[in-house]
Amino acid sequence: MSTFVEKLRQYRKPGYYDKFDYHWTMTIDLDRCTGCEACMVACQAENNLPIVGEKRFAENREIKWIRIERYWEGEYPDVKMRFIPMLCQHCDDAPCETACPVFATYHNQDGLNTQIYNRCIGTRTCAVYCPYEVRYFNWFTYTWDEPLEQQLNPDVTVREKGVMEKCTFCIQRIRIAKDNAKDDDRRRVRDGEVVPACVQSCPTEALVFGNSNDPEAKVSKMMKNPRGYKVLEELNTTPSIVYLTKVHS
Amino acid sequence: MSKISRRDLLQYIGAGGIGVVGGVLYGESVQQNVELLIPQVVPPEDYSPGVATWYNTVCNQCPAGCGISVRIREGKAKKIEGNPVHPVSQGRTCARGQAGLNALYNPDRIRTPLQNVGQRGSGNFEEISWDEALTTVGSRIGRLKIDNEASRVRLLCGRVRGHLDELFLQFMNLLGSDHYQQYDFTYPSALMAANKMSFGTDVLPYYDIRNAVFLLSFGADYLGTWISPVHHSLAYGHLRQGREGRRGKTIQIEPRMSLSGAAADEWIAARPGTEGLLALGIAHALVSEGHYHGSDRDEWSKALQAYSPSLVSAETDVSEDKILQLAREFGTSTASLAIAGGATAAGTNAVASIVAVNALNYLAGNLSQPGGIIFNPDPAFSATAGSRQAGFQGMLDLIGAMKAGDVDVLLVHDTNPVFALPDNVGFRQAMQNVPLIIALSSFRDETTEMADLILPTSTYLESWGDDVPDPGVGFPVASISQPVVATLYDTLPVGDIVLSLARQIGGELPIHMRWGTMEEFIKERWREEYDQRGSEGEEQEFEAFWQAALEAGVWGQPGAVAGDQPVPLSSSMIASIADPVSKFAGDESDYPFVLHPYLTATFLDGRGANLPWLQEMPDPMTSVVYGSWVELNPVTADELGIREGDVLDVESPAGSVRVPALIFPAIRPGVVAIPVGQGHAAYGRYARDRGVNPIHIVATLIDDQSGDLAWAATRVKLRATGERLQIIKTDGVTRTLGRQILGPENDHA
Repeated sequence: MSTFVEKLRQYRKPGYYDKFDYHWTMTIDLDRCTGCEACMVACQAENNLPIVGEKRFAENREIKWIRIERYWEGEYPDVKMRFIPMLCQHCDDAPCETACPVFATYHNQDGLNTQIYNRCIGTRTCAVYCPYEVRYFNWFTYTWDEPLEQQLNPDVTVREKGVMEKCTFCIQRIRIAKDNAKDDDRRRVRDGEVVPACVQSCPTEALVFGNSNDPEAKVSKMMKNPRGYKVLEELNTTPSIVYLTKVHS
Repeated sequence: MSKISRRDLLQYIGAGGIGVVGGVLYGESVQQNVELLIPQVVPPEDYSPGVATWYNTVCNQCPAGCGISVRIREGKAKKIEGNPVHPVSQGRTCARGQAGLNALYNPDRIRTPLQNVGQRGSGNFEEISWDEALTTVGSRIGRLKIDNEASRVRLLCGRVRGHLDELFLQFMNLLGSDHYQQYDFTYPSALMAANKMSFGTDVLPYYDIRNAVFLLSFGADYLGTWISPVHHSLAYGHLRQGREGRRGKTIQIEPRMSLSGAAADEWIAARPGTEGLLALGIAHALVSEGHYHGSDRDEWSKALQAYSPSLVSAETDVSEDKILQLAREFGTSTASLAIAGGATAAGTNAVASIVAVNALNYLAGNLSQPGGIIFNPDPAFSATAGSRQAGFQGMLDLIGAMKAGDVDVLLVHDTNPVFALPDNVGFRQAMQNVPLIIALSSFRDETTEMADLILPTSTYLESWGDDVPDPGVGFPVASISQPVVATLYDTLPVGDIVLSLARQIGGELPIHMRWGTMEEFIKERWREEYDQRGSEGEEQEFEAFWQAALEAGVWGQPGAVAGDQPVPLSSSMIASIADPVSKFAGDESDYPFVLHPYLTATFLDGRGANLPWLQEMPDPMTSVVYGSWVELNPVTADELGIREGDVLDVESPAGSVRVPALIFPAIRPGVVAIPVGQGHAAYGRYARDRGVNPIHIVATLIDDQSGDLAWAATRVKLRATGERLQIIKTDGVTRTLGRQILGPENDHA
């Protein structure tokens, strides 16, 4: 236990993740985002998210690793609609990680907040601790109407009842890119080689993904944008997602 | 020791034996079937377990013609992404494009040819063989041909482009029938008619949103539904943040905020039906404020005399200052661009409104300029596919002919007029007069349900074809669509069905339509295109070219600038200016609200409603899933005492629908909006009996000039039924409440 506490203290030191090869980070430019939800369906396709059905939706049992939140500003006629894509922020100081009694969720050296499905016992504590409400619990084992199951992505586990799940930054794509880099005798994957499904589909190119430990990566440059901020930063969760505010003209 | 008799012993042995056999049988029965890693004896050449292959083809979820790449693993389609080398989609997709896999693997696909055995429309179908089906159709049409009655055969398609259009045309011509029509609810008929009047062009131009700095959209939801949403979204991203230090501005004018309205810097809810008038008011200000420098300035000011900002302001409910400000910004920005679509292009003044918007572009000097309107070259092929669009008038003619008993055989493919036409035009009833209806379809939608015979078509992911994106991108482009997976069921690509029918009918048809398959036909046509363009520096052998085109999924000549840019005559533009105010069906005193049906980014005109991913995708503006709703302004709702979930009867002069109310902050008081797409009576388990279809209660007013259905020109009244219904939506609190979720400076809770 003591070694674990020591390790945890190390994790908590600022800059801990900078020494590794990767720190996967995303930037989301709200000035580009139109709220079209292409990312949501792309994620559903890539990550085998279930089709929960009307009844389950009415009970708030839907599972969407990335969703669009909507906020109204003002009243008619000076009313504005603001969209913000919300997904796991892969916090460096993630509240969910300290909460899990069985270490089913932990932080890996790439800066990813990962979820080990077959370790999860379904206490749902992590979902309670997450201030972004991006963790989704499988209350049921969902099935696909035949032959829709033929579409399921063989690179991604199909989850069962009793397991918590959430955005993985498409870890399967990261793995493939790393394998390819290794095959080519490269130490690191190139910038742009890993593209999660949501980033790939985004028609306005609002989402940028990359390794923020690489100062030359596009994402590192985007992070320096003065419009950048992190959602609920005051909670000291140190999110890995940097949002760029919408510009008001 | 107890004695066991010989009889008992034998009985025990017998029982034990049965137990063992039973156990073995049970064990066998629960044992999992042996699954082989490679199920085929001779696997296809691209089949290697664990390795993904990508095939490029064309998306068919809307008529934009985006190029897509489909990821195949072990012979199954796993993921659709944009084709990075395709100039329309540039590697991107919309939600509908992603959901194409749900069409391929849809559990409600038609799997074999079907014959109606009950009453027509009852949905009682029996499976028959392809031979039987083709013989039935072939002999019936063949007899009509022999009797010189082939003009009693009619073919109705959705938006079909490329060489499939040519195949259909050839088939009908050889048959001796000139009744080949297309009907697509989303076809921009009014825009085409207006552009013909303003610019003299028959081809949709390229609206260069990417390079514009001031975009003025009159009702066109260019980010969600208007003609090429993915391409426009790419352009929008660039307009906003693609240029260092220069952020483009967008203004959206529409009575109900669409996705593009939400993205805009300013959303202006002019009085419905007066958007074109507002354009003329801006045009007036452009000329009178000296932003137009043409030699015919006087003629323009004379033509626009009646539309001074003060008068227009009173009519449109947009302040005079605002009109002048818009004119100033539009006139001084380089480049500015005005577009029109949506409800603006669906009133009784649709063409006049778009002509007014075109005039704006002319006056600001936006034609053939970067960031303006760039005219497309004639498409590489299928240049005339658009002219086969029946429009609303064409559909009325067809209904008339069916009612008069002039139609013996109706072939329907990939269009759903029973759903996408108002109820009171009676398409469904007229179909009852047709002796033989044949549907070439993948799904049992409302129109297919009415068929006597269903010839199941393969989906676009299993078929050969080609396409010319419309609108184009300013240079010649053509895409190839190829099967990315083996056909799942006993279905045929629609082109192959036509060729089989030609063989079945016989006579000169199979002589001229000699191709065995659609693939053969497409390849031959591409060879001809290739030979014709041989002089343009293509030196590869055709096979190499074909392989390269297949691999890329697209062929184009980016260097070739759009040939001759038409120079519109100012005088004819001036002459075409007409008073653009829409009339509405229904008296204001009886029907106090204007009905604003709108296409959604989710289902478009309803064709996406059978895809479960789209049903589960929250509506982008309201977050509602699985159902319909009617949107009311909060103040209106307050006055009427209506809360969210109150079920209302929305009644127009043409009919009524029953739908729950949703309070929507961004809709003009006096307007109620219902999304199009739901309300299917058939179309599979995900679509059927869900929500309502506002098109059905639209009054049949038409646009004065194009004759197209004015689907945004109906008034309605509301009546609370006293019932309540839970609207299923994902949004909880829709205000940030000072949480700074949208950024530190950006919190205006």
